[in-house]
Amino acid sequence: MTDWQPQIIAFCCRHCAYAAADLAGGLRLTYPPTVKIVEVPCTGRVDMSHILRSFEDGADGVLVAG
Amino acid sequence: MIVGEQKPLAEIKQMLAGFHKVLLVGCGTCVTVCMAGGEKEVGILASALRMSTRLDGNAIECDEVTVQRQCEWEYIDPLGSRLANYDVVLSLACGIGVQTLVQRFPNVWVVPGLNTTFLGMPPEQGVWEERCQACGDCILDKTGGICPIARCSKQLLNGPCGGSQKGVCEVNPQTPCAWQLIYDRMSAMGRLEQLLEIQPPKNWSAARHGGPRRIIRDDLRLPEDYRTA
Repeated sequence: MTDWQPQIIAFCCRHCAYAAADLAGGLRLTYPPTVKIVEVPCTGRVDMSHILRSFEDGADGVLVAG
Repeated sequence: MIVGEQKPLAEIKQMLAGFHKVLLVGCGTCVTVCMAGGEKEVGILASALRMSTRLDGNAIECDEVTVQRQCEWEYIDPLGSRLANYDVVLSLACGIGVQTLVQRFPNVWVVPGLNTTFLGMPPEQGVWEERCQACGDCILDKTGGICPIARCSKQLLNGPCGGSQKGVCEVNPQTPCAWQLIYDRMSAMGRLEQLLEIQPPKNWSAARHGGPRRIIRDDLRLPEDYRTA
């Protein structure tokens, strides 16, 4: 169990958080492979159904970044 | 619009107890715009049901479909071929939609996911208020376009009553006195003298008091041989 890492779905705004993640990639910064990024045009697009569906499909946490 | 609100999840789960395959059927008309039973709410409820029943240890399978209007044959007929695959249908339409499904598909068990609440409109985002009771004999011309049947707690035809305090109803302080609203509007429109006319008791036979109602328009009806329902 000590190796357990939470599966995270990250909904990232194209204009800030996703761009920041892109820049981080350019700088060769890493983040855990258990974080799955979903680019959204704006975090205002993220709906309750997206969050519920993430949990339903096995996510341990949902990050909304924007 | 017809305004409804979703039943509590616990009550819905109780109605679905013992069933394994559920089809959630939303409606794309009134209950979509009052955010109670449209495609989005169907998705959220289906997700919640799948997770909740899985956690309870008796996971049910929930499929989702939303039709444009659940209260007309042509929109629900395409569902017919799918329904045999399910143990139960959870309708997120108003009570009319539920009954339309039942009448069209008499062998299918259909349960309601909403409480159909009233005929109304949203005065602001996220708030819905009753505006009409479908009494069958509209008197809005006499009351400045504000309905005392739907909006006065006592349905007075010659108001206000003594319980109108500072423009608020004594039954519920959240309710503006309909007769104050009527008086204010008639005053603003220069029609106060119209309120001096005493309204006789209303003929309620056009309302529910005369039993279930029906309208038949012979100018629109198809010839008998062409009728489908």
